[in-house]
Amino acid sequence: MKNTGIAKSTALILLLVVIVAVVGVVIYMSLTQPTPAQTKTSPTTPSPTTTLPTTGAATTPAGKTAIAVVYDIGGRGDLSFNDMAYLGGNRAAREFGLELKEVQSTTEADYLPNLRTLAREGKYLVIIAVGFLMTDAITQVADEFPNQLFAIIDGYVEKPNVLSVLFKEHEGSALVGALAAMVARYYNYSAVGIVLGMEIPVLYKFEAGYYWGVRYGEKIYNEKTGVNASPLRIIYTYTGAFNDPARGKTATQAQLGMGAGVVYNVAGATGLGIFEAVEEYCKSQGKTQGPPFAIGVDADQDWIKPGFIIASMMKRVDVGVYEAVRRALDYYAGKISTYGGVLELGLKEGGVGVSTLDDLDTFLKIAIQAGRKDINRDEIYAKVKAMRDSLPSWIWDAVKNLEDQLKNNPEAVQVYGLTFADIASRVPYSSESIQYVRSTLKVG
Amino acid sequence: MSASVKLEYVSYIGNVLLALITGLAIGAIIISWGGYDPISAYRGLFETSLNIADPYYLAMTLSYATPLMLTAATFAISARAGVFNIGAEGQVFMGALGAVVVASLKLPDQLYLPMALLLGILMGALWGLIAGLFKVLRNVNEVVVTIMLNWIAYWIVEYARIYVYYDRYRPEKTISMPRSGVLPVLVPGSELSASFIIALIVTIIIYLVLWRTRLGYSIRVVGIGLKTAKYAGINPGLTMLYVFIIGGMISGLAGALEICGRPPTYAITTGASNIAGLGFAGISVSLLGLNHPIFIIPASIIIGALNAGSRGMQIRAGVPLEMVKAVQGLIVIALAVPGFTYMLRKWRIRKALRGETGD
Amino acid sequence: MSSRELVVLMKDIVKVYPDGTVALRGVNLELKRGEIHGLLGENGAGKTTLMKILSGLIKPTRGEIYVKGKKVSLKNPAHALSLGIGMVHQHLSLVPVFTAYENIVLGLKNMKPGKTEIEKLMDSTGLKVPLDEVTENLSLGVRQRIEILKMLLRNVDVLILDEPTTNLSPIETRELFKSLRSLKEQGKTIVLITHKIREILEITDRVTVLRKGRVVGSVETNNTNSRELARMMVGREVILEIDKPPVRVGEVALEIEDLHVMSDVGGEAVKGVSFDVRYGEIFGIAGVEGNGQVELAEAIAGIRRVLKGRILLGGKDVTQLSTRERYSMGLSYIPEDRRIALAMDMSVAENSVLTRIIYDKTLVNKMGFLSFNEILRQAMKLVKEFDIVISTFSSPVRTLSGGNQQKLVVGRELSREPSVILAVQPTRGLDVGATEYIRRLLVKMRNKGKAVLLISSDLDEVMGLSDRMAVMYNGRFTGIVDPRKVTEEEVGLMMGGYSIEEIRHEVN
Repeated sequence: MKNTGIAKSTALILLLVVIVAVVGVVIYMSLTQPTPAQTKTSPTTPSPTTTLPTTGAATTPAGKTAIAVVYDIGGRGDLSFNDMAYLGGNRAAREFGLELKEVQSTTEADYLPNLRTLAREGKYLVIIAVGFLMTDAITQVADEFPNQLFAIIDGYVEKPNVLSVLFKEHEGSALVGALAAMVARYYNYSAVGIVLGMEIPVLYKFEAGYYWGVRYGEKIYNEKTGVNASPLRIIYTYTGAFNDPARGKTATQAQLGMGAGVVYNVAGATGLGIFEAVEEYCKSQGKTQGPPFAIGVDADQDWIKPGFIIASMMKRVDVGVYEAVRRALDYYAGKISTYGGVLELGLKEGGVGVSTLDDLDTFLKIAIQAGRKDINRDEIYAKVKAMRDSLPSWIWDAVKNLEDQLKNNPEAVQVYGLTFADIASRVPYSSESIQYVRSTLKVG
Repeated sequence: MSASVKLEYVSYIGNVLLALITGLAIGAIIISWGGYDPISAYRGLFETSLNIADPYYLAMTLSYATPLMLTAATFAISARAGVFNIGAEGQVFMGALGAVVVASLKLPDQLYLPMALLLGILMGALWGLIAGLFKVLRNVNEVVVTIMLNWIAYWIVEYARIYVYYDRYRPEKTISMPRSGVLPVLVPGSELSASFIIALIVTIIIYLVLWRTRLGYSIRVVGIGLKTAKYAGINPGLTMLYVFIIGGMISGLAGALEICGRPPTYAITTGASNIAGLGFAGISVSLLGLNHPIFIIPASIIIGALNAGSRGMQIRAGVPLEMVKAVQGLIVIALAVPGFTYMLRKWRIRKALRGETGD
Repeated sequence: MSSRELVVLMKDIVKVYPDGTVALRGVNLELKRGEIHGLLGENGAGKTTLMKILSGLIKPTRGEIYVKGKKVSLKNPAHALSLGIGMVHQHLSLVPVFTAYENIVLGLKNMKPGKTEIEKLMDSTGLKVPLDEVTENLSLGVRQRIEILKMLLRNVDVLILDEPTTNLSPIETRELFKSLRSLKEQGKTIVLITHKIREILEITDRVTVLRKGRVVGSVETNNTNSRELARMMVGREVILEIDKPPVRVGEVALEIEDLHVMSDVGGEAVKGVSFDVRYGEIFGIAGVEGNGQVELAEAIAGIRRVLKGRILLGGKDVTQLSTRERYSMGLSYIPEDRRIALAMDMSVAENSVLTRIIYDKTLVNKMGFLSFNEILRQAMKLVKEFDIVISTFSSPVRTLSGGNQQKLVVGRELSREPSVILAVQPTRGLDVGATEYIRRLLVKMRNKGKAVLLISSDLDEVMGLSDRMAVMYNGRFTGIVDPRKVTEEEVGLMMGGYSIEEIRHEVN
């Protein structure tokens, strides 16, 4: 009798779990349907019919018909880093007639098993690890599978079969920094801000470039208008997390309260909170578009809150992934003798840049493709265009101008006694060197 | 074991199987709802976890089971004393931090491993002791205290990771354990290290402590009723304190073993993500194992298999991780249900014994 | 008075509990308007059960209830309340963090009376309560007034109070009685459940005496006296005959000096008790349950804190020693509830050493592990010696019958070679055979020269077994007497609160 007693209550609770689970899943599905996280369902798993043999596919070794992308714990649907990696992987798969396999990780303990399991399958042309957090795991498997090609995005691993794809984020950050300064001055704000994720040295590059850009933009604005206002205050906040929009929101609210006219998002998914804070702040003042503005990061995030994100510093992870695949094909085709090494992508290589209306168009397409029925492409495009047009065109031109100068002659541009070449030469940054840049450029 | 007890366990295993089938069935519905093939998904799951033909996947399963076995033992020994100790999470953090502190020191090679495990155990014990003192001296609810201590431990570890023990060249992680302090890998080319054997031994020791020592006897009496314990001359407060300390030691060891015995990083990584969640997962393992150290071993292997098989579901069946997690969460909850009702029933009996219910 | 209107009539009420206990065996009760009706009886006489039936808390197995002449079938307490019947239980049920006012109006749906209205009620009844004070800061007496006010606001005509004076000081008791009288003047009917004869005589108009589920008699209080009531309450049919050879009484084994012990609800449960128990004698403590006996036993065992006084075991002061040390010094303790004395989920074998495990080194082997052989040997010895029926030694002790559980407890405690045996309600809930068996064991221990302290609310047991006995009332002894030289009437009076000096004085 006691035993049936357990069975009965067990069955009852199980039933409850079932009901809760079903209801939960229904709610989850109906909620997540419209997010770009679902992009994977349509274009990701391309049916074998799309893998038409192309020139690239002809040169792949026997049995290797696929590429694999391992995302970091931010995962797909982060609207930036991992989603861009997907874009590049998808593009490469399409163009070269390969199958794309995506693998996500729950914790960092999953990286090594994920990479190993993929390597053991033996059918992947190249296995691409998205993010420097997978450095150790890649190092380990690269030794165990010397005949398997790997690539790591945004990380550095010194192995003959690993391609390290790095970005010059300081270059892109300098451009948005200049834009931020000019926008802030144009709308008479006294400060600009930057909200960052966890304090890791990769982010110092963003910081340094941004600070330099702000001071440079200020200088240009003064020269252009002849108004000599006191220097902008630069506020920076490390939220300590890449995955916590609530913290991003709080940090941004604080910066806006201190008079920031532009806030730069360098915080992954935490950045979604930055956008929300800016939008709420504007709407509470009855505005349908900034100022103040946010600046997006990694991907083109301008469409997330149209009218409130002045531009995005795009780190072209997609270019990196695509290049990693292309080079793998070249390697198998015998065009290059070693696969490993560093591939550094800057302004020149199209690896970083400030988002344009064309980029916006591309991202809108992805969103539509992913089945986001709620997105009105024309409306968003019009809103962003109106926002951009509300700034005098010379500001945009000045950013463009700076881009050309950084590409061609970074030694020639100088503010507060620092040339951009000085900024670039300090990469990789340590906490001491960022401290130096912060104090020289009067940040804080 | 008497016939009635055996019968109880047999019926329990029946219930677990029922729960497993229910969980798998609903999981299958969800998977096919999402447009994927449930059969190939489950094939992927089992082929990359409990695949006898391929020791690599078995090794992966056991490597995931290792820390869970220990955190489950923490919960189990506490539950045996009637204490709902969910502080394993924080104790794992502190134990891992202890190992990292040792890794940062300049020591003779052969000292790294014993020192790391020792300091990990001590720091876990300290964390357990704090919770225990709150519970025993101030009668603060242990759930509240341990949850708070979990967060405090998390932020201490985060602070230490970012500002104190960061790797100068890769500051997103802490200093790694030097090679000489790393436990050997058991199956070459897998993540399974000797930490599994240590965990196994410790779990068996916990079993022996609970059923073959005076302390374990006292723990179980305290768990059955405070009045009975006092009557028997047992000091319930002191016994609970021991339970908190032992629990902390076990989870501290789990944390240290993750640093010394889990390739490739041998460090605490960004957001402590490589050691997060182990303590909480241990609770469901312990419930599944009826808070019995010996049953915890197979229970941890089942949950370890689910963790290991998650990549099989992604790679072989193309099921996205969100759905893999949803299905696995469902299975884990379903599996924990029989154990939970079992425990509730015992607590009901105990309450009735104390005269807290009925008239 | 008898001309007054009948408010409640209970006819032939029978109550059999699911476990087979017969609590009421056909009880009739009449309650009249404007009277205070006493319900007198020992523990287990059925007083509280009868009133729980009247207040709708439990259902009678058989019998009829008429309220104001109409036959009713009470569904629940709310139903009874709607008919004007309300009960204030021994364990009060107020929300500790609410103010007195909030507690009083708690659960009133439609119209919540204002504070002025309640103050008017307080004035008219004398039940004074600080309305804005948080309940947990109030004394038990005040909390009780809150409960009574709660009932009055719900317009009860019949107010039932279950042992209301248990936790009250004499002054509080006097005030309560004053209020009860004024309520009576207002036409309320009050039922007072009590075992205190003094209170019955002081305040009631009529009294019904229950014994073992039957009404012994129902009389006008003016026409009776304390002796008659005591006889009615205690009077017993069987006198236990156990062969008790005279034993030479030895030295003092256990000595208690002016012991004060804390109660669970605050205040003192034992308010200064002194006595000694010698080797070779059974010292019995009788009394209605809840008069501090359990607290006294727990203090002797070292489980409950002593506020004042000393406990000497074999001449040594053990007041500050732990339970473990007292056990190892030869104290055995059979507590009042075997669910405390046994770890129900643990095995028979393990339970056979429950009170031994903490001090007996023979149970631990050289490796520091428990010696299963030794434990099993113990268990086998107990099972054989005390004739305990078990299925296996490893089955949980909860699978044993109540009698076998108690035999295990008693056997375990007696086989520890104790010098002092503290036995509280050792035969409660047991059948005749098991009761007889355990009583003989206690006498056997006495004959062997052990000191036995027997605390029981079963008067037969105490009087039949003891060499000397005390009666405990309200935390004190009302007297220490020789059970062979005292009448049951005298014992009944002592249990009802009269000291032996008072009783004997009256006689002379």
